[in-house]
Amino acid sequence: MSAASIGTSPNRVGGIGRVTGLTEYVADIRLPDVLEARLVTLECARARIISIDASEALKLPGVRLAMTAADLPEPMPRFGPQFADRPVIAVGETRYHGEPVAIVAAETKDAAEEAARLVHVEYEELPAVFTLAAALDPASPLVQDPALRPNDRLASTNVLREHLVGWGDVAAATADVVVENTYTFPMVTQFAIEPHAFMAAPDGDGIAVWSTIQHPYWLQKVISKVLGLPLSKVRIFAPDPGGGFGGKQHAKLEPLVAFAALRAGRPVRLILSLEQTFQAVRRASCEVRVRTGIERDGALVFEDIEADYLIGAYADIADRVVGKGSYLAAGPYNVPAVRIVARSVLSHTVPSTAFRGFGNPQVNWAVESNLDEAARAIGMDRLAIRLRNLAKRGDAFVPFDTPADGDWEQTVNRAAELIGWGSPLPPGYGRGIALGIKSGPTTGLSYSTVRLLADGSVIVYAGTSDMGQGARTVFAQIAGQELGVPLEWVTVVMGDTAIVPYDQQTSASRSTVLMGNSVLQACRSIQAQLAAMAARLNGLDEASVVVDRGVVHLPDCQLAVVDVLEAGLGPLGGELTGNGETRKDAEPDHPLGGSAAFFEFNCTAVEARVDEETGDVVPVRHVTVSDVGKALNPLQVAMQDDGAAIMGLGHTLMEHYIFDESGRIRNLGAIDYRIPTSMDLPLELRSEVVENEDGPGPYGSKGMSEGALLCVAAAVGAAVQDATGVAIRDLPLTPERVWRALQERPVR
Amino acid sequence: MVRTIPIELTVNGRRRALEVAAHHTLLDVLRDDLELTGTKECCLVGECGACTVSLGGRIVDSCLVLAVEADGAAVLTVEGLAGGGRLTPLQQAFLDKGAAQCGFCIPGQLMSALALLQATPAPTREAVEEAIAGNLCRCGGYEQIIDAILAAAEADER
Amino acid sequence: MHTFAYARPTTLAEAVAILDEHGPGARLLAGGTDLLIRLRDGTARPVLVVDLKRIAELRPAIREEDGRLVISAGTVMTDIAADDTVRRFFGALAEAASVVGSVQIRNRATLAGNVCNASPAADTAPALLVYDAVVVTEGLSGIRRIRVDDFFVRPGVTTLGRAEIVVAIELPMPARKMGAVHVRRTRRRGHDLASATLCCGVDAGGVTRLAYGSVGPRPVLAVDESGVLGDPAAPDAAKAPIFERMFADASPSPRSMRASPDYRLAMLRVLGTRALRTAIDRLAQA
Repeated sequence: MSAASIGTSPNRVGGIGRVTGLTEYVADIRLPDVLEARLVTLECARARIISIDASEALKLPGVRLAMTAADLPEPMPRFGPQFADRPVIAVGETRYHGEPVAIVAAETKDAAEEAARLVHVEYEELPAVFTLAAALDPASPLVQDPALRPNDRLASTNVLREHLVGWGDVAAATADVVVENTYTFPMVTQFAIEPHAFMAAPDGDGIAVWSTIQHPYWLQKVISKVLGLPLSKVRIFAPDPGGGFGGKQHAKLEPLVAFAALRAGRPVRLILSLEQTFQAVRRASCEVRVRTGIERDGALVFEDIEADYLIGAYADIADRVVGKGSYLAAGPYNVPAVRIVARSVLSHTVPSTAFRGFGNPQVNWAVESNLDEAARAIGMDRLAIRLRNLAKRGDAFVPFDTPADGDWEQTVNRAAELIGWGSPLPPGYGRGIALGIKSGPTTGLSYSTVRLLADGSVIVYAGTSDMGQGARTVFAQIAGQELGVPLEWVTVVMGDTAIVPYDQQTSASRSTVLMGNSVLQACRSIQAQLAAMAARLNGLDEASVVVDRGVVHLPDCQLAVVDVLEAGLGPLGGELTGNGETRKDAEPDHPLGGSAAFFEFNCTAVEARVDEETGDVVPVRHVTVSDVGKALNPLQVAMQDDGAAIMGLGHTLMEHYIFDESGRIRNLGAIDYRIPTSMDLPLELRSEVVENEDGPGPYGSKGMSEGALLCVAAAVGAAVQDATGVAIRDLPLTPERVWRALQERPVR
Repeated sequence: MVRTIPIELTVNGRRRALEVAAHHTLLDVLRDDLELTGTKECCLVGECGACTVSLGGRIVDSCLVLAVEADGAAVLTVEGLAGGGRLTPLQQAFLDKGAAQCGFCIPGQLMSALALLQATPAPTREAVEEAIAGNLCRCGGYEQIIDAILAAAEADER
Repeated sequence: MHTFAYARPTTLAEAVAILDEHGPGARLLAGGTDLLIRLRDGTARPVLVVDLKRIAELRPAIREEDGRLVISAGTVMTDIAADDTVRRFFGALAEAASVVGSVQIRNRATLAGNVCNASPAADTAPALLVYDAVVVTEGLSGIRRIRVDDFFVRPGVTTLGRAEIVVAIELPMPARKMGAVHVRRTRRRGHDLASATLCCGVDAGGVTRLAYGSVGPRPVLAVDESGVLGDPAAPDAAKAPIFERMFADASPSPRSMRASPDYRLAMLRVLGTRALRTAIDRLAQA
């Protein structure tokens, strides 16, 4: 038996269940007496609820429950990771198309569907704001009650918060050339193939909740608070989600389902339709005004960036997205003067939430595109301008934050080499290159427990959510490596707050670094215990015993861990347990609450072919290179980067919500919301990594999986500009949009 | 009381007799009545392919087939691929090539892949792309899925 | 989904009788790829769904008969796209059939269903118009043969009578060699509903038949008998006015989510020009 080693790509832990259909996702778990739930929503963006009559619904055979705001505590419990603003169910007013006003539960799905249809809601449609312009217009209605923010000068506006970041003096800066443009990024949705699903059941004097949640422990806190139960009486089951991408990070309908279950005295299950997921989660759309000041020799002088993100009716984590996303808007460059003003703007739309990239893709699209235009203005090569200004390792490119933590030039040069930067292209083809950067976690806390059982097999407890990124496998690899066992001998337990110790969350590409380090620590603790055990058994000094990868090294010989265990544990048997804790505390004076644990840095280069008659853009070659420190499982890293690249092509070329005049979403569902299929791939997709073992995670790893999405749009947009001479500043670059831009192109 | 219709079908080689409502889809019946939850529910409009099964030897979106239409037919789902606890070469290839990330689209991908390889034992990469075009993967695992299918094809060749 | 009764007639006569009894309260079910979506979203609320798949006369079949290629109503897109005779003599129809949705959809969707659904964007409609297809129906008054150009009325509406069922689509075997192609505009390279469809066929006599869809309430057929379009030597300036005349009936809806009217109209011209070139090339190779 050989131990799996770091840097190889053993098959995914949990893979067998996925290829046999035996892995159970939340919607596959059915408790024997579960009630099926359905939501009642209104066909408008905003409405005043006058009355709700569920009497007819309740008369239907099999219907056990119909709940509205009237059935919940008063005042209505509210929750939210940033502000407790979201009601468990709409009370008095709905604020976005799809906000639930009632929930019904019945013995069968059919009865629940019928019951939902029979709930009569009398309502008055109210004017809604669903564009930035409308939301910012002082004459427009306010999305939230100003009384909720008594000492806030912005309370009488739809601007939830304004984030200011900067250094140097932009106003006083003078530059040879100043390039100024406005860019827009569309509203898009996560579209995980698994729709959100929630189930709750009374559990003794507490409650059990199943959810597709990425943050089980956050959810535990929310349920505990809204139900008034101690944490120890709230058990969250979080099976591996079928894709999350941020859209499953925070509580949405679990509190409502929990109340329903307690009210019914039975388990209640709610599985959203795909259309409902579009009405539950999305990315913030954004308008970005960029002024870039540059010298003739290519040195950046200033970046003056104003970003307005259109968030939804409730804050969810959207304001954090705005603050953190815009923070590195000036890019991975040394820029003497920077001014970033980012605003989260409320609207009567689906609450936006975390989505891979966390606010960075929006500003990246604008600032990288503008940098290209600056390059054109001074006649400089677009790769050269980036290399000229790129931060080097150790540069405090954001003065009060973590310095540049990689050899980024290496990443850029590799991408340029792979795309053949500078080589001639046939007519109709263009090339673009862009850089992406994102802060990893700024605070964090991950505990892990590892148990080495008597026969040398291992159980790892890790509260991370494995939603496809392969966390389970990475943790098994770490434990396998450290304790010298093959992956088949490692069991990783996740997704149960009653059994698994606390993990703050799965986000910001943190888990390999934070939880990975905790797993590593726990293993090291076990190694120390083994050393002590071996020393005791052999009458040696502990210092003379070294335990490494399943082998106990004594001065005169080597022993297998199992043998030491057998001898050391004795006839009573037993096990060794290790705990690990990785904590990154908040830095209260820091604009983001903490400096970055690491950066995700990526360079994406695209060669695209444009059909000028139709506007079709085909990514012919797509190169993506990420600075990852150490690829603990190279295949999983490649899968994540390929996947991020393809997802980036989605919002670049085809994804966007379409609204009607009243703020209703027109393209709910899979027919008219287009995401990339297997036939929309780049003709050649190449992903590579730079590994300098310079990350804070196990074996020098950094977090990854968002980097390759960040600058896809800018790279493709640049390629389109290169091919056609036309710069398009709004996404997505659908064939029609590209065609229209070409039609309006000044005659050459 | 919803009237039910008796149907008999063969699912993964096993004869099943049940009473179904006319408006229940094959997907509903597989998941809810037969408790074969390997086939997944997502878009319910025949776009995403998460519900792909083989019906009468051809892959279909089971969300667009009424259960009654499958009366007398043979249905194969992902649970019916592996026999006696052994993975098929196709499933093994999916594992070896890292085709499954979150895994939710994988049952559907496997059914489409199987259909392709039965009709075209040595497909080109382009043919594979077309064959799985009706199976959306939001994790974006297409490259690895295609690699897996081509590897399985090659393994069969040898 | 609302529930409904389900009937599975085994003869045409039975099916016609059911339709006669229930009228619009009954919906016919063949492939189900359109109907099930409507049942789910509530735009179809039949009392009774009539499954046609056990009717012997409608069983999938493609056969030559009396100078016509007869495609029975139960024949699915997969088989049409793969059929040797269709590919050889009606290549544009095979092309169109091969882009209807995904493999899963094509394994169920029938040609007859595509035609009866009467979506202006129906992929097979332009090719059927170019090939002068005939819709064969059976009903209370016996058998009818309806030219496909007389079959489409507007979205969702055909000239089918109350208790009348399509039993086959017939394509006259071509008297002259023809080169034809089906093209379309979509929002992505992957499968999609078309924002413009077009089929162009040029025959050995110089006649050009051009049909297009998704730019108005029904697909449109236009014919150029002057020989100018089909003449590879004729200059673009001579062809342009003919194209304009052919596209004069295009009236794309301003309400569409898929594409704006001006883009669709512009794409008609682009598709037409490209399709014509391909059709001429294919004729030369035929």
